[in-house]
Amino acid sequence: MATAALPVSTLVRRTFVDARVRTISCACLFAIYGYIQPLGFRHTYPTLEIRLQFARSFANNKAVVLFYGKAYDILTVGGYSAWRVGGTLAIIAAVLGVVAAIRALRSEEDAGRAELVLAGIVSRGSAFYAAIAGVAGGMLVLWLAETAGLVGGGLPAAGSMYLALSDITVMAVFAGIGALASQLAPTRRVATELGVAAVGVSWLLRVAADTSSGVGWLRWATPLGWAEELHAFTGAQPLVLLLPAAATVALLAAAARIAATRDVGTGLLVVRDSAEPRLWLLSSPTAQALRRELPSLIAWVAGVGLFGVVMGVVSKSVSSAGIAKKLSRELAKLGSGSVLTPLGYLGFAFIFFVLAVALFACSQVAAMRHEESDEQLETLLAQPVGRSGWLGGRLLLAIAGIVAVAATASVLTWLGAVSQGVSVSLPRMLEAGVNCLPVGLLFLGLGTLAYAVVPRAATGIAYGLVAVAFLWYLTGALAGVPKWLVDLTPFEHVGLVPAAAFRPISALVMLAIGAAVALLSLRIFERRDLAGA
Amino acid sequence: MTAIRAEHLSKRYGSTVALDALDLEVREGEVYGYLGPNGAGKTTTIRLLLGLHRPTGGRAELFGVDAWRDPVQAHRRVAYVAGEPFLWPSLTSAETFEFLARVHGGTDVRYRDELVERFQLDTRKRTRALSKGNRQKVQLIAALATRADLLLLDEPTAGLDPLMEVTFRDCILEAKKRGQTIFLSSHILSEVEAVCDRVGILRAGKLVDQGTLDELRHLGAQTVEVTFDGPAPKLAPLSGVTVEPSGASGLRFEVTGAVGPLIEALGGEPVATLTSRAASLEEIFLHHYDHGNGGAPG
Repeated sequence: MATAALPVSTLVRRTFVDARVRTISCACLFAIYGYIQPLGFRHTYPTLEIRLQFARSFANNKAVVLFYGKAYDILTVGGYSAWRVGGTLAIIAAVLGVVAAIRALRSEEDAGRAELVLAGIVSRGSAFYAAIAGVAGGMLVLWLAETAGLVGGGLPAAGSMYLALSDITVMAVFAGIGALASQLAPTRRVATELGVAAVGVSWLLRVAADTSSGVGWLRWATPLGWAEELHAFTGAQPLVLLLPAAATVALLAAAARIAATRDVGTGLLVVRDSAEPRLWLLSSPTAQALRRELPSLIAWVAGVGLFGVVMGVVSKSVSSAGIAKKLSRELAKLGSGSVLTPLGYLGFAFIFFVLAVALFACSQVAAMRHEESDEQLETLLAQPVGRSGWLGGRLLLAIAGIVAVAATASVLTWLGAVSQGVSVSLPRMLEAGVNCLPVGLLFLGLGTLAYAVVPRAATGIAYGLVAVAFLWYLTGALAGVPKWLVDLTPFEHVGLVPAAAFRPISALVMLAIGAAVALLSLRIFERRDLAGA
Repeated sequence: MTAIRAEHLSKRYGSTVALDALDLEVREGEVYGYLGPNGAGKTTTIRLLLGLHRPTGGRAELFGVDAWRDPVQAHRRVAYVAGEPFLWPSLTSAETFEFLARVHGGTDVRYRDELVERFQLDTRKRTRALSKGNRQKVQLIAALATRADLLLLDEPTAGLDPLMEVTFRDCILEAKKRGQTIFLSSHILSEVEAVCDRVGILRAGKLVDQGTLDELRHLGAQTVEVTFDGPAPKLAPLSGVTVEPSGASGLRFEVTGAVGPLIEALGGEPVATLTSRAASLEEIFLHHYDHGNGGAPG
């Protein structure tokens, strides 16, 4: 009997180490984002006068608040950072919390490994809290990374720690939600859908609280609102920390209770394990792939559609208060275009749809890879099915999905805008939709290339490329780096339709690169070995 | 002392009855073979014995400890091999051993090294790069190396090659000699026949037969083959005996119950050779499934 380490600490370490790639890349993201925002603010808005103008025209603009949350004070570097860094990273932290908890709990169970662990001398409760402790270790790393970034950007240490804490507490609450979803849902996929839906609801509540008058109390109903109520750098309210702490404890306790009493490998929600045969969409590998992707495509279309309606409706409330010419140039540099007219705002909003379409392309690359890592592809290709036929079919499916998502975004945003009397034509908005396609197809091509060359890393590379490109677009200009460096991100080459003109040459270049890379991928995929999990 | 005790152990999943009032006792030091076709409820039984699933009725005890109420205490003397070798794809076998040893609360490292050698496993490979049979070896070695008092094995040789199957049987017999209790769920009858003291046969969630191999054989038909000098004679029908021709001058009898009356009837005939063979486990097994009313294994 040789091993001395406690089983529980072994499990904690296992969870922590399993998540290392995600933890490290997010830590880099948090640190860089935290570093660049205070730096960029000082660089772009050096004087109080220009900060005042900025505040009047931009920060209190309801339509902008939608994205970044409520700004309490953006005349100081700390207040600005709390608004931009806190607001954005809180949403990322929410998604991360859900994903981290589900990976540590439901995925292990889904894969059948939890059974092996629980056959050891570890109780269900200990195994549950060990997984949560592993997740908490990752959160600690992120907290330190964000703090380090903010301190590096020139903010005081104590305030930076507090601001970073406001993001990390959001992650903790959503890890609790992910833990609960892991008990309810019988599979990782369903658990993730539940968790992400909770993030969506929290975001909508925060948007409602921040943009509509009279319902500010709603901010207390969402963890994303609690982060705002913490008032980092703007008169801190540390007592508010009790809310996320209590919520996290309650969620975890509820989840632990369920975990201790249900059958391992099942969820509280019952799924039907038998069904009458439904024979639609089984005629070819592509049709069957569509059948499997349909629920997630519907979720994407619904999510983007909802976002579009909100954007359209809010575009009416954009203020067109006077603004200095120099400042509008700076605002454009901020990567947000002119947000002073409804049309300008819609253009600004559409960059987020461009991002959504690019992320959808990544999800399709992930789906391709999934089909291979689960060894379904091996079964398929053992049939008279060609490799290029299979991959070509998946690419066509992805393109069709991209078009559907972009079309939904443009039509529903138009509906939202027109319902409020904003004058914008449907063809113009459809043009904005078309404008999303080149970037989406470019990233689809690049992701597919990654899939063909390094299949195991493809999903990470695809999402990573989009994330880096978008953050570079948002922050690169702020940091004052040479233009050619900023120009490296494809997002920089999107004309902000309907605010600005469509840029056909950029679009063609991106389409050409995407297509060339996709064709190259088909050739490479023909030649490589299939790679299992 | 009993290693495993199930009292009226039942499990329903919705409207499906997976296990129906199982009563089972396995004594310490016994090797118990648990037979049944796919879907009979073997894995469900093991999950209930480990307290991984909650019984809808009855109870399961390991060494006198309730498996559902106090799983940790119940698992202290148990090692488990799951039906499917799901492992951690990014860990190597050596890392998996270390991990499982810690989760189990200790292991015999020297014995483990010996097992690695006997099962010819490359422990430096990540488990995702291993074939199913090799992943199964990882699970088996990890379980055997604990020298736990009770081994719960769910179809442990699935995917192993014949040579490794022999190694596995050797290990089981060694474990038995050391006094370990083994619960072997399987549908490989030769394996069960080779190592088990007692056998239980499960059909559609119910234990339909149980006993030592000898006891079970009394239920199965015995085969008696007889050849004659000259043409086979015509015998008067005997109860419990069926007959069919075998070759030019031979007969094959299937005898249920005592063989005496048949020997008596053959007394005056020119018998050249007579061979008798007890029912194999396979025949007993098939007997239970063929004669079950509508209980198609599934």
